[in-house]
Amino acid sequence: MNCRECVEHLYEFLDREVTPELERDIRVHLEECPPCGEQFDFEELFLKFLRARCSSQGAPPELKRRILRELFDE
Amino acid sequence: MATSPPSPPNPPPPPVPSPQETDEKRASFEREALVHLDSLYRVALRLTNNASDADDLVQETMLKAYRAWHQYEKGTNAKGWLLTILRHAFINEYRRRTRHPETVDLDTIEPFAVFGEIQEEDPQGAFFDRIVDDEVLRAIDQLPEAFRETLVLSDVEGLSYQEIAKILEVPVGTVKSRLFRARQLLQARLYDYAVSMGYIKGSPA
Repeated sequence: MNCRECVEHLYEFLDREVTPELERDIRVHLEECPPCGEQFDFEELFLKFLRARCSSQGAPPELKRRILRELFDE
Repeated sequence: MATSPPSPPNPPPPPVPSPQETDEKRASFEREALVHLDSLYRVALRLTNNASDADDLVQETMLKAYRAWHQYEKGTNAKGWLLTILRHAFINEYRRRTRHPETVDLDTIEPFAVFGEIQEEDPQGAFFDRIVDDEVLRAIDQLPEAFRETLVLSDVEGLSYQEIAKILEVPVGTVKSRLFRARQLLQARLYDYAVSMGYIKGSPA
């Protein structure tokens, strides 16, 4: 596997959407190629950052009460 | 001799659920559907860009889902099923009213690799830590809708490509390419923001 092929599968790899064979090939390449390794680390960090920044928001308690009232006449 | 057309058979009246059936329906709905309220709300908020519309959209989704609950195969993917209902409700009612259909040609959006720009200065992406929630949400809200919904379902709600493809009714390949470009575009905007705030120097233009 060369760098171009490796980076082509970057997000699929981070999203755990690659076959076990492809995953193994990518891991081997990342071990041998620090620049690709850095790029993968950076993108992984970005995805973690995104999730952390966006997941804290939840439905307001008043909305939940409203829905329960509508559904079950509470 | 004229014959009158056969009158349609009267549909049998819907069975009145017993109190026990109602209790069971409610219990399974609470267990499998209401637990996804936060997810539905987050997605609704990103689709409508408006807290009051998001409230209404989620409430409508839950009412529709409760009415159609017998159609949902218990124990399967309730989150995907609910998000599909939510998206249809959004398209049918809210988008028409609140936003104009997208006119952006998604293919003209140039990919821009932020990593290439910062690998010298900040390869560990430390500048991300300085960008607060609201700024990230604002940047997501400015993505073209097709990118935004794909990115939110994947990166905020953690759905698989297959699940997203089903909800958005597009091929898996489309999910992949939208996700790729959505992430690159979002990264580029957050990078520009970080440069403008002085969090990083960035490369000279």
